[in-house]
Amino acid sequence: MSLVKIMLKKIVFSFVLLLCLTVSQLCLAEEVSARQVVEDFQNELLAIMKEGKALGFKGRYDKLDVAVKKSHDLPKIARSVVGKQWEELSAEQQAKLEQVFSQLSVSAYAHNFKDYTGETFTFISEEEASRGGQVIHTNLHIPGEKDVKFDYWMKKKADDWRINNIIADGVSDFALKRSEYASVLSKEGFDALIAKITEKIDKYAAQ
Amino acid sequence: MRLLRKLLKKLINTPRNNHAQQPPGFFYMFNAGRLKRHSPTITSVLLISAALLLLGGCAGTAKPIAQSDTNNVDPYESFNRTMFKFNDHLDDYIAKPISDAYLWVTPGIVKSGVTNFFSNLKDINVVLNDHMQGKFGQGLEDTGRFLTNTTAGMLGLFDVASELGLKKHEEDFGQTLAVWGVPQGAYLVLPILGPTTARGLPGGIFDVAANPTSYVGMPVNLVSMLNTRANAEGALKFIDEAAIDPYVFTREAFLQNQRHLINDGKMDANVEVQPLEYDIDSDVDEKTTGNKAQKPAAVEKDGSENKETDKSLDNAVFALNKTSESMEEASAKLDNLKQKHKRRHHRAKAQRHKSALPPA
Repeated sequence: MSLVKIMLKKIVFSFVLLLCLTVSQLCLAEEVSARQVVEDFQNELLAIMKEGKALGFKGRYDKLDVAVKKSHDLPKIARSVVGKQWEELSAEQQAKLEQVFSQLSVSAYAHNFKDYTGETFTFISEEEASRGGQVIHTNLHIPGEKDVKFDYWMKKKADDWRINNIIADGVSDFALKRSEYASVLSKEGFDALIAKITEKIDKYAAQ
Repeated sequence: MRLLRKLLKKLINTPRNNHAQQPPGFFYMFNAGRLKRHSPTITSVLLISAALLLLGGCAGTAKPIAQSDTNNVDPYESFNRTMFKFNDHLDDYIAKPISDAYLWVTPGIVKSGVTNFFSNLKDINVVLNDHMQGKFGQGLEDTGRFLTNTTAGMLGLFDVASELGLKKHEEDFGQTLAVWGVPQGAYLVLPILGPTTARGLPGGIFDVAANPTSYVGMPVNLVSMLNTRANAEGALKFIDEAAIDPYVFTREAFLQNQRHLINDGKMDANVEVQPLEYDIDSDVDEKTTGNKAQKPAAVEKDGSENKETDKSLDNAVFALNKTSESMEEASAKLDNLKQKHKRRHHRAKAQRHKSALPPA
């Protein structure tokens, strides 16, 4: 009797295990697309803008901190924005750069998208890019102004799509920062770069 | 020659870009009437662009000019930085205060009327360049736009065409030259006019010649400049807030936006703007395979012509440094004077106070 019980237990157990595996397989198959990541982020951004005034800078920052970190690959952007110089930084400096860079990115969002005046994002198209990347083309419509083209460059981090760069009307945020940082690093060094970024963060918070 | 001078003068006097949203292409105005000092720069720039036209064919095999490889596009960085600073001072002390006052006193409807009026006149040039680039459909559309706004829009004061779905296009002769295959050339910051490229310079001359505003005289020109500066307010504020090196920020934004306009917003296959190419490993690839040499070299360094160009650029840098310094001095003096005046005022007040007291 007890033997049969043990057998039954084993069978049930293996079934449960099998079920778990298939479910997780299904979950993997149903991964979030690059387009979905962008649209989710844009919707969150618009929602934060809508209550932007009530939230204040701090409130917007806290909400955006979650939304931005979830959708952007900030550590990677911080690393590649200084290019080959990254290798020359100490571990401590690398950590510091990553930290202020992510603060800067979130602060810039919180500062530049402070309230809502009827803006909408519309999806235009998506295309494959080199090295397994994807580009999601969208339009930002601001009532009474010319539309701004927002192109999101996506790449996979582990299994999730993440924003690697945003190009607004042909101007690449990443390329701008990379040129600026290279110039400051070569002329004034690492500490000056951190000081300048920190100054920007403070200014964003103050306004 | 006189005609050329006249054209150059117009070029100096008229801002080339009225577009409010874009950081680049705005810029500094108010010619102090120092054409003579500026003209060597412009001539030399013309020489550069002429040299580029000749050398364009072999740009692909050209050696990268700078050993430091910081920027092929900006071989005159120190000169440009001086100009940038000079323009910045000019903006701080002259253009911005006037523009702020204009923005403060002028009602919104008048401001948009002024912007629309000048924008409508620029549409003539847009139509010309549409055709020169072979975009005949767009040319027809823009002609309709101009006619609609000139008639129904009351001489362009109202942008009726946009409401009807005829969108404004940005075309100029610099873009046309690019479409014709003229290489971009070196990045340049001109006094008062701001950022341009060796290719943008002859482009600018054409655009000025094709704009009716250029022929009506000073008061209208001044309003046009004021309007341009006022429309750039948002962009300038953005640069001020976001840039940790405003010079580099402006240069990169300007060049990238130019490329965007040339391609009419279509993705560029150019490696330089493909942001996914920035992975650290690709950085290494680039270094080892020497991909940099494939990028168009900005300016050829050989030939006595360019040596002369360098010399005159150096002279111009020197002259502008001096002007910039004297402007700084002047502003310091002004501050001093203010302080002194305040102190004297206080002292006089104290004295009056004292004498009013009964003698002890």
